[in-house]
Amino acid sequence: MRPKPQDSHTARAALNRWLAAERADGDDVADAALREMFEALPLLAPAAGFADRVFARVGLQPVKRDVFASFGVRLMLVASLIALGLGAIWLPPVLQGLGRFLGESFSLSGVMGFGVRAVAEASRGLALVLSVGEWLFAFGRALSELLRAPRAMAALAACLLVSALAFRFLRDHISGERSYRYVDPI
Amino acid sequence: MAVFIKTDAELVAGTLRGSQDAFRELVVRFERPVYSLVQRMVQNPATAEDLAQEAFFKAYRRLDTYDPQWKFSSWLFKIAHNTAIDHLRRGAPETVPLESDAEGQGNLSAVLADEAAESPHAAAERRDLARSLEQALAHLRPEYRVAVVMFYAQGASYQEICEVTGLPLGTVKTNLHRARKELARVMTSLGWGPDAPGETGSARPS
Repeated sequence: MRPKPQDSHTARAALNRWLAAERADGDDVADAALREMFEALPLLAPAAGFADRVFARVGLQPVKRDVFASFGVRLMLVASLIALGLGAIWLPPVLQGLGRFLGESFSLSGVMGFGVRAVAEASRGLALVLSVGEWLFAFGRALSELLRAPRAMAALAACLLVSALAFRFLRDHISGERSYRYVDPI
Repeated sequence: MAVFIKTDAELVAGTLRGSQDAFRELVVRFERPVYSLVQRMVQNPATAEDLAQEAFFKAYRRLDTYDPQWKFSSWLFKIAHNTAIDHLRRGAPETVPLESDAEGQGNLSAVLADEAAESPHAAAERRDLARSLEQALAHLRPEYRVAVVMFYAQGASYQEICEVTGLPLGTVKTNLHRARKELARVMTSLGWGPDAPGETGSARPS
């Protein structure tokens, strides 16, 4: 709840009235002032999404809201479509005007030249990628030749085994430390 | 445009018929009062959130036992109160939330963060006052705290407090009177009151 600008003053004034009433033994005034002070201060609130966490705990799935279920939203959608349809009436003359403007600014040969240059640049990029791929292929073949040796194979297998064990240990450790405080369905 | 606000009884009936929207509305309607009550009892935001969830969970499970001739809020507060009392009796070790500040009122700042409508000075004073009040409440015995929060913060009647706490009317009235006096004493010792320096426009000494 957003506090009202006067809430701070209200709370302070109520506090002063309450403490003054306590000194004067005015129980009724003290009760009323203390209530007013609490009213001017917000209630404590749980973290956002509390209702969703309650739903998870209860074992319910939060209902997915249908955005178009509201009459207002549907009305706005229909109005937008009508506006769009009316706008479409003006589309052909606008496009014609735009076409004339572009036609005057650019020539057909210019556009063709740009297309040819773009294709040439793309081909050059592809050639570069292919040459890098060829080098990578050669490197992989050399590496596989090396790994075919029994010692290299054994070392590789040992590395894979150690990695798998380390990964398993880490996963168990992380799972063990995880808190299910907010999502634990009983 | 007419706005139709469903009563608690209608929402309970809706939930019993299987409406998730009705239950969500109940949770949203009571999340602040329930959390506020529990937080003031256990004095720990993370534990309070857990216990508030637990209270709603129990309420959902036992909703068919709710008697509509009683106020739903009293019934729900009784569940929340008992859940918090059980926790306090177990003497479970408290956890300290990472974002907790010096006074241990971790989410009080978050609650008060929405202060766009106030001047910085007014917002600071409001935050200061709220913190002091929480500190003063922490000095009270748990049964005093419950009575104060329900009677003054949530506007509950003596009868409702009796229903929630299970204490006789005379005890509730005595608790409230003593709690108010104690609260005033602590607030005065924290520097608040008509004679405090903040009244003349300067900041209150902390």
